[in-house]
Amino acid sequence: MAYRADEDYDYLFKVVLIGDSGVGKSNLLSRFTRNEFSLESKSTIGVEFATRSIHVDDKVVKAQIWDTAGQERYRAITSAYYRGAVGALLVYDVTRHVTFENVERWLKELRDHTDMNIVIMLVGNKADLRHLRAVTTEDAKAFAERENTFFMETSALEAMNVENAFTEVLTQIYRVVSRKALDICDDPAALPKGQTINVGSKDDVSAVKKVGCCSA
Amino acid sequence: MHEVELGDLSGCPDFAASQLKESVSSFSIDFDRMIYEGESEVVYSKEDVAVHCSQDTSKLITGSLLITRQSSSIFLFDKSCLMLSNQRHPLKCEQWQTFLDSEGRVMDSKALRKRIFYGGIENSLRNEVWKFLLGYYEYDSTYAEREFLKSIKKTEYQAIKSQWQSISEAQAKRFTSFRKRKGLIEKDVVRTDRSISFFEGDGNQNVTLLHDILLTYSFYNFDLGYCQGMNDFLSPILFVVRDESEAFWCFVALMERLGSNFNHDQNGVHAQLFALMKLVELLDRPLHNYFEQADCLNYFFCFRWILIQFKREFKFEQIMHIWEVLWTHYPSEHFHLYLCAAILKSNRKKIMGEQMDFDCLLKFINELSGKIDVDTIIRDAEALCMSAGEHGAACIPPGTPPSLPLDFFAQGYPQKDEDDCL
Repeated sequence: MAYRADEDYDYLFKVVLIGDSGVGKSNLLSRFTRNEFSLESKSTIGVEFATRSIHVDDKVVKAQIWDTAGQERYRAITSAYYRGAVGALLVYDVTRHVTFENVERWLKELRDHTDMNIVIMLVGNKADLRHLRAVTTEDAKAFAERENTFFMETSALEAMNVENAFTEVLTQIYRVVSRKALDICDDPAALPKGQTINVGSKDDVSAVKKVGCCSA
Repeated sequence: MHEVELGDLSGCPDFAASQLKESVSSFSIDFDRMIYEGESEVVYSKEDVAVHCSQDTSKLITGSLLITRQSSSIFLFDKSCLMLSNQRHPLKCEQWQTFLDSEGRVMDSKALRKRIFYGGIENSLRNEVWKFLLGYYEYDSTYAEREFLKSIKKTEYQAIKSQWQSISEAQAKRFTSFRKRKGLIEKDVVRTDRSISFFEGDGNQNVTLLHDILLTYSFYNFDLGYCQGMNDFLSPILFVVRDESEAFWCFVALMERLGSNFNHDQNGVHAQLFALMKLVELLDRPLHNYFEQADCLNYFFCFRWILIQFKREFKFEQIMHIWEVLWTHYPSEHFHLYLCAAILKSNRKKIMGEQMDFDCLLKFINELSGKIDVDTIIRDAEALCMSAGEHGAACIPPGTPPSLPLDFFAQGYPQKDEDDCL
C-alpha cells in the first residue's frame, strides 16, 4: 500500500522548501520526486509533501520534502511544519529581485523555528530565464557565504541542478548525522547533543532504520 | 456479526431515542435484519428496507436504514427520507420560473433552496440563481429592482477599479504594499484553473478579468487585501456570472461570509476546524478518540478543505455543484463541515487501520483530491446532518463561518500588522 513502508531505508530526513510565492518551490519538488514540471501548477494551499530515496555512500536516505504556501499571510500555519526539519531549501527567483531581498526574512523565520544544526541551501531558481535575470550569481553567492548556507542556481523547467541541489542537502545532513553518531561513540557525555538532530516524527532521536507509514 | 432488532436500543443517547420514537410514531418500519460488520462500523442494511408512511399508505418509499454504532451508543435514522435517487435532476429554466411571481420575486426561498440542495442547478441557469444563493440579490427583489441594482453596482465597481487604475508607475514605485499585492495577484491568476477552456491560452481576457476583479477587491477591502485562495473562489464565479462587475459583487457577497478564512490570524479557519472536531466527536467517537491519541485534534490536515471549500478536491464542474449545494444553507448553514465529517468517516477504516500519524494523515487527505464521489459524499453528509440534528448544530459556535460574522454590521477585518497585509 502507498502509505505503508514497503521498502527499507537507513535514514529519513525531513526537508522544507520555503521562499516567496511563485518562485517555483512546488515545481522543484515535483521535478525531484516525479520528474514533472508544469508552468501552470496551482499555488500551494497549506502544506504538501512528497518523498524520494537516494543513495549516499552505501546508505539509503529517504527525503520527506515539505512544500509550503509562500504567502506571508500563511506563515503562522506553515511555520508549524518546520518542526523536526533537518534541511531546508530557501528558494528565490533569479528574475525577481524582491524574492531575493526577502531571503533574509525567510532565513530568520527558519532559524527561529528549527534546530541550529539545520542544513540550509539558498536556491536561485528559474536560471533558464537568462535574459530576465535580476539577481547576479555573485551577489547570491556572497550572501550565502555570509550567512553560512550552501548555494546553487537551478532550473526546475530545464531540470538543471535540481537533482544536485537536493542531493547536496541530503548528503550534508547525512554527514552531520553520521558525525553526530561518531561523537556519541567517542564521548558518551555528548549524548544529549545527538538529540538535536531530530529526524522524522517528533519523538525520534535519529532516523536510523525508522519505518514510518509515510515513507512510500 | 450480530443481529440487531429495532428494540435493541440500550445505551442509545436520549436524542437518538426521541428521534427514533418520532419516526416510529409516524412510520411503520419493517425489516428483516440489520447486519453489523464488526465493532464500531457504519453499516448500511444489506437489503433495502420498506418504509410505509402511515399518513399516506398509498405511498411506499424504499430506502435503507443507516445505523451508526458507536461503542455504547446507537444512532438511527431513516435514509429513505434523504435523496431518493442517485440520478441528479438539476433545476431547469421552466421550473425556476414557477418559483417566481409575476414581478420576479422568489415566493418561497426555502422551497427553492431545498430544490437546489437535492438537484443542483442547470449550468445555463446558474448565472441567475447563484446571485440569490450568494446573497447579492435579495430573494424578494423584483426584476426591475435587480436591473437597477445592476446599473448602480456597475458604477460603483468602476469607481473602485479606477482607483488602482489611476496609480501611475512612478507612484507605484513608492507604494510597496500595492506592488506586492499586484505582484501576488499577477502570479496567481496565470495559474488559476488554466486547464479549463474558459481560462486557457496566452493573453486570455478572462485571466485579465480575474486579475482586475481581485485587485479591485483589495481596494474594496483594504484590510483583507488579497490572499491566495481568493483566486480559487473567484474563478468559478466569473465562469458562471461572466460580467465583470456582477462577478465582483457576487465575490464580495461570498467574502462577507468567508472573508475571515483569510484573516491574518486565520481565526475563521480555526473556528471551523474546532467545530469539525466537535462534530466528529459527536458523530464518530472512535475516530475522534483515534485522532486524540494520535495528537491530531487540531484537524490541520483539513485546512485546504475548509479554506477554499473543497475547491482543490474536486473537478471544476463538480465544485460548482458542491458550492451551490453548500450555498443553499439547507439543511445546515455549515453543511460543509458535515461533508468533512462524511469524508473522514468514509475513510476511517483506512486511517485507523493503518495507524496514520499526523504527517501520514496530511498526505493521505491531500491525495484524496479527485478521488471523492460527489453524490455519495453529499448523501452521506446529509445523513450525518439529519442524525446529528440540533446536537450537531450545538457543536458549531455562533459566528462560525460561513455564518455572517457576529459583528457583521461593523464590517471590520482588522489585521494585526499592517505591514504584512498584502
